[in-house]
Amino acid sequence: MNRWYLLGLLLLLAVPASAAEDIPGDADADGTLARAEYASAALAYLDAAYMDGAGDLDRDDIRDAAWVYARWDGKPREVTDSTGRTVTLYRPLRRVVTFSGESLETLRSLGFDMDKVVAVDKYSHEKETFFPECRDKANVGSIWSPDMEKVLSVRPDTVILYATISTAACDNIQKRLEASSPGIRVLRFDCFKPATYAGEIRTIASIVDEPERGEEFASFYGSTMDQIQDGTAGIPDGEKTRVYFEYWFDYTTVAASAGYNEKTELAGGKNPFATGTTEYPAVDPEAIIVADPQVVVKLAGQGLAAGGYAGHDPEALAAIRSALVERPGWSRISAVEDGRVHVIHSDILGGAQHFIGTAYLAKWFYPDRFSDLDPHAVHQRYLTGFQGIDFDLASQGTFVYP
Amino acid sequence: MIGLPANRLFCLILLFLFVPAAVCGAPVTRTLSTAEPGAGEVFTVSLSIDGIDLGGVVETLPTGYAFAGTEHPDDRVLVRGQHIGFAVMNDTAITYSVTAPASGSGDITGTWEDFLDETDGEVAASHVAVDGIETAAESAGEKPAAQEAAPRFAVVAAAAALLLAGWGGRR
Repeated sequence: MNRWYLLGLLLLLAVPASAAEDIPGDADADGTLARAEYASAALAYLDAAYMDGAGDLDRDDIRDAAWVYARWDGKPREVTDSTGRTVTLYRPLRRVVTFSGESLETLRSLGFDMDKVVAVDKYSHEKETFFPECRDKANVGSIWSPDMEKVLSVRPDTVILYATISTAACDNIQKRLEASSPGIRVLRFDCFKPATYAGEIRTIASIVDEPERGEEFASFYGSTMDQIQDGTAGIPDGEKTRVYFEYWFDYTTVAASAGYNEKTELAGGKNPFATGTTEYPAVDPEAIIVADPQVVVKLAGQGLAAGGYAGHDPEALAAIRSALVERPGWSRISAVEDGRVHVIHSDILGGAQHFIGTAYLAKWFYPDRFSDLDPHAVHQRYLTGFQGIDFDLASQGTFVYP
Repeated sequence: MIGLPANRLFCLILLFLFVPAAVCGAPVTRTLSTAEPGAGEVFTVSLSIDGIDLGGVVETLPTGYAFAGTEHPDDRVLVRGQHIGFAVMNDTAITYSVTAPASGSGDITGTWEDFLDETDGEVAASHVAVDGIETAAESAGEKPAAQEAAPRFAVVAAAAALLLAGWGGRR
């Protein structure tokens, strides 16, 4: 009862940090902050802040006005998110809540000031090695179990949700936020899909006004994906490498609708089990032997906790591989005979880093075609140059084996 | 640390700690045409601004000293009592004039903000005294003692460190 009372109270009292749908300082409310209006606003702020005068512009207001005047040419910015919805921004992002680790990671790639992220989803909160700056931020739970009280308590001006997955859960959060906090900006991006990621990078870069950084990152991402696409172009269907991709769970594969299958196919692999509607179907052990895959890829990660950013543990991934090759009947599989059984961690294949994992797949599927592709170097450059974290792949983390 | 006595090393560390803090990094610095104006004399205050695209500077004059004008655009200047506010829009310099009283001394103090970089700070105080004569009058500017004391302490500490370093080196 108390909990519901508190939530009700919060809904009544909650006013987002920057909910107003106008540009601060736009005195004539014509939707454009002219030079004279900005100058007048700046003086009004200085007067109130330092000169014993009166005024209603606070420090965030004048900083937002300066941003809009300098970076958006004095006009609101319209952006279209990945649901196709157009959102008008009258102020920059100042207090952001992300329910998506992929969007959070993309914001960091774009050099966004992470101090302006005031709360994150529980999974990002738990990733202390990869998101060390999120350790002390508020934890708003997951899209399936959001802590709405916590969201409202941090007074966000912007909340980021997924666009095309778990849409019912995300729609529900959006509806509740917009009902309780008119003017709050809800933006929806996926940031993990190869088909849309480059565009999302540029859109988010436009929102945070980092167009050059956005172009640099989109080019970096695109160059790896293009290299993969170019290297696999023109391979006849019958000559494509047969791949058995096994999910976290034994004898569970990925079907056509799964993201991991998309990456397998982008890397030029042919998945003999890419049929059916289930994303992760169970597969008959005998059928794998009959299919005789040329390459086997096993996914490690959340459902098979080993490696990733959480720990440097090549032995654990080696043990996973050993268990695979020792399965009954597998000694007859081409992949085992040729030593082409690999383990990959979902950290570099499932989210915003899918381009790194896809590069590994391409290299495993076609070592001759991708002799000059160095996924390890791509990964390190991503971490150092774009994520800005101190993480040395030579001694930290384990992402692939061998 | 071969050949470097411990006390000398300590002094060098003091220098590294305090000298940069005292002399570097301020985006706004102030110079006066004179620090010892005559009674009723109009003198010039020049603010040099480095790297503030959009921001503001508020100057506060000592009691008795009066703002006498500026070439900064009218719509970007506001005067209230002893305070003068300037809106900075890609300016690298602001000059204004001040009329000295018949007598009196004090500090011209200032505060700056960079709205885009979201930083702010103090402009180091400049002391003025009519005809160089110190009076007991208080400066009209109000600022935390610590903010004013810090640069002076830094200069004193640096000077002390230099002297000690020299003394340590002669031993």
